[in-house]
Amino acid sequence: MDALPREAHSYVMELSQERRAVERPLVSVVDDDESVRESLPDLLGELGFAARAFSSAEEFLASDCLDQARCLILDIAMPGMSGPDLQRELKLRGQEIPIIFITASTDKSARPRLLEQGAVECLFKPFSDTALLKAINMAFQPK
Amino acid sequence: MEVQPELASAEVKHLQRCINDLVSLLALPAIWSGGDPSQVLHTLLDALMRMLRLDLVCVRLTDPDGEAPVEIVRLAEPQTQRPMPAAHEICEALSQSLKNDSRKWPPALRNLMGEGDVSIVPLPLGLQGELGVIVAAAERTDFPRQTEVLLLSVAANQASIGLQGARLLSQQRQVANELDQRVTQRTAELATASKELKKELAERRLVEERLGQEERELKYSEVRKAAIVDSALDCIVTIDHEGCITEFNPAAERTFGYHRDEVLGRPLANVIIPLSLREKHRQGFARYLAAGEARVLGKRIEMTAVRADGSEFPVELAITRIPLEGPPSFTGYLRDITERKRAEQELRRSEAFLAEAQHLSRIGSFSWRVATDEITWSEQLYRIFQIDRDAQVTFELIGTRIHPEDLSVFLEHIERSRRDRSDVQLEFRLQMPDDTVKYVHVAAHIRSDHGRLEYFGAVQDVTERRASEEALSKARSELSQVARVTSLGVLTASIAHEVNQPLSGIVTNASTCLRMLAADPPNVEGARETVRRTIRDGNRAADVISRLRALYGKKEPTIESVDLNEATREVLALSLSELQRNRVIVQQELVDDLPLVAGDRVQLQQVILNLLRNASDAMSTIDDRPRDLLIRTEPDDDDRVRLSVSDVGIGFEPQATDKLFEAFYTTKDEGMGIGLSVSRSIIERHHGRLWAMPNSGPGVTFSFSVPCKAESLTSDSAHASRTPSVSDAA
Repeated sequence: MDALPREAHSYVMELSQERRAVERPLVSVVDDDESVRESLPDLLGELGFAARAFSSAEEFLASDCLDQARCLILDIAMPGMSGPDLQRELKLRGQEIPIIFITASTDKSARPRLLEQGAVECLFKPFSDTALLKAINMAFQPK
Repeated sequence: MEVQPELASAEVKHLQRCINDLVSLLALPAIWSGGDPSQVLHTLLDALMRMLRLDLVCVRLTDPDGEAPVEIVRLAEPQTQRPMPAAHEICEALSQSLKNDSRKWPPALRNLMGEGDVSIVPLPLGLQGELGVIVAAAERTDFPRQTEVLLLSVAANQASIGLQGARLLSQQRQVANELDQRVTQRTAELATASKELKKELAERRLVEERLGQEERELKYSEVRKAAIVDSALDCIVTIDHEGCITEFNPAAERTFGYHRDEVLGRPLANVIIPLSLREKHRQGFARYLAAGEARVLGKRIEMTAVRADGSEFPVELAITRIPLEGPPSFTGYLRDITERKRAEQELRRSEAFLAEAQHLSRIGSFSWRVATDEITWSEQLYRIFQIDRDAQVTFELIGTRIHPEDLSVFLEHIERSRRDRSDVQLEFRLQMPDDTVKYVHVAAHIRSDHGRLEYFGAVQDVTERRASEEALSKARSELSQVARVTSLGVLTASIAHEVNQPLSGIVTNASTCLRMLAADPPNVEGARETVRRTIRDGNRAADVISRLRALYGKKEPTIESVDLNEATREVLALSLSELQRNRVIVQQELVDDLPLVAGDRVQLQQVILNLLRNASDAMSTIDDRPRDLLIRTEPDDDDRVRLSVSDVGIGFEPQATDKLFEAFYTTKDEGMGIGLSVSRSIIERHHGRLWAMPNSGPGVTFSFSVPCKAESLTSDSAHASRTPSVSDAA
């Protein structure tokens, strides 16, 4: 990770300073995997975001983050309600939160369908911090 | 002369009696005729006693052969009760009193038996008394009267005649007897002679017959010899003492390209011997004739000959001298050996090829006659075993080179081959005198030549191959695990999924860590926390791997057509060396035309491997019997195929059968492929059954049976039976 491209660094810095001026935007993480819930918010913090993690779709739906989150990083395969299930649910509820799917699966065939359904990006675990930042930036671009 | 009447009458009576007695005496010889001397004397003495009223009369006969004299005594009836002296006492007394010369005897002697004297008359027998003497004695005083002397002398005469006659007769008889004997003997001799003569005649006849037959045979033999010479495949050439050809048979005509008439009388050397050798031939021939030296005579030599067209070719030549009187002549047998030479050369070359090939490939060949244990080795085999080329190969000798741990297996194989006459495939170790170890592979098959069984086989030194094989097998086993994993495409994804989770954590934490350290001031505390998490996720990834191993067994098989025999052979090929290392003797009974089964080849092989390993493990402590393992395939009921593996190991209690699987089933982390539970679950996923049965003898038989591949079984239906996709399961 020390091989992070120079441009990315400057880009990240620039972005952080820009965001620091205003309130830090909230990014929510929904994953049944604990290590993701632990590690990802720290990284997001370093990238200049506020972050909150949930272990299931149900937990997220029940939280007060639903209206505050500017971006949702969502695991695809979870016990109970899956990532795509939550995406459909949010759509039904009229919540237009940009969604970045993350998955441990190697089956790339799922990606186009998810993007078609409105996802910003689908990242395959393990992913780099730059790939994540790029996806978040895309999520923050006005449509 | 004046005679008184009374006296005269007494005298007349006396004379009359005397005449009567005379007549009686003269008649005696008629009685004696044919009698023996003792009979003559007895009758005479009796007669004298009676006629002359003697008190004693005795006779002594000298034996003509000089033996003891015959003595006979007659005594008058004693008047008184005096004891009677024995005859020989009387004779003894007489002999003492009288001298041998009877003519000098006194007329009277003292009475031997009583008082007073007795008068005696000795009467010599024979002209000079040579026959003996008769002594007559009486006590009366008037003895002997004149008439009595007359009677006695007549009696003596008569006796002499009678005795002579008797002796003569006896002699005649003896002569006749001897004659008879001689005649008999001669007759016998003649008979013998005649018999021998007959025998001799018979023998002579036989000899004559034989001579006749020999003559016939000789004639026949000559005819036959001529036929042989004419039809012989060998060239037969005879030469006389000057070296000129006297006979040239058809084979010689064909071989040398001459007609018989062309060569008869010509020197042999000029006809068939190449120019270069001609001088040598002449010299040798001359030397032989001069000194009888025979360098080539009676021996088989190879030389070069020349044909009529001048072409030269190799021949084999044997020369014998014809054993006849007169100047020496010879027969030469020649054979064109061009073909043989070429064959020999080819054989030599092919032998050289073989030796070279054996040397290069480190393969030695052998043969073994089962009945006699005669073993022949190729040169390379001696080299492999490092045994002296001249050594007599025996199993005992071979045994000294076999690794002590492999010896029993080796010997068991030998006995088995001897008994079953089956083909041999065997790998074992040799231990050289310098303690280096060689691996050899033996393959042999049996042949029967007129009922004589003989194994032919090859022994390959596979030490080097073995070393690379071991490395390979390690790689292979690793690879086979990977192969099993990749063969289950779904499982691959599943593994990736499971591993990617912690990996993702690792990468994220590491990225965060870098950023925290790069900040100004660096967030060391935060960085430490992320590193802690990185380590934890790393361990988690490792846990996932082992969890997945257990998971692997729970995946649905990839369905394809599997030939269980082929699958079994592959597994055996992979594990044979390991089994042999464990001194397990594997026997296969793979039935021909076994129906295909539908299933996952690798997983089924995994089960077979498990069963083989379990059988091998069960026999690892068995040392009192061969570690026999039988693997067998056969069609089962209900369109199924059955495979079974029997061992002679420690076995188990019948009621433990179910627990056996259960016990293994609980040890889920046994790892890939090991464990009966995994095997059973694999077989059950193939809609089959896996079970164990104790053998009637020692050990256990594990069997599984799976359905044959049905025509209707398509890939769709196979897919339909699968579990939901991994993404759903994760």
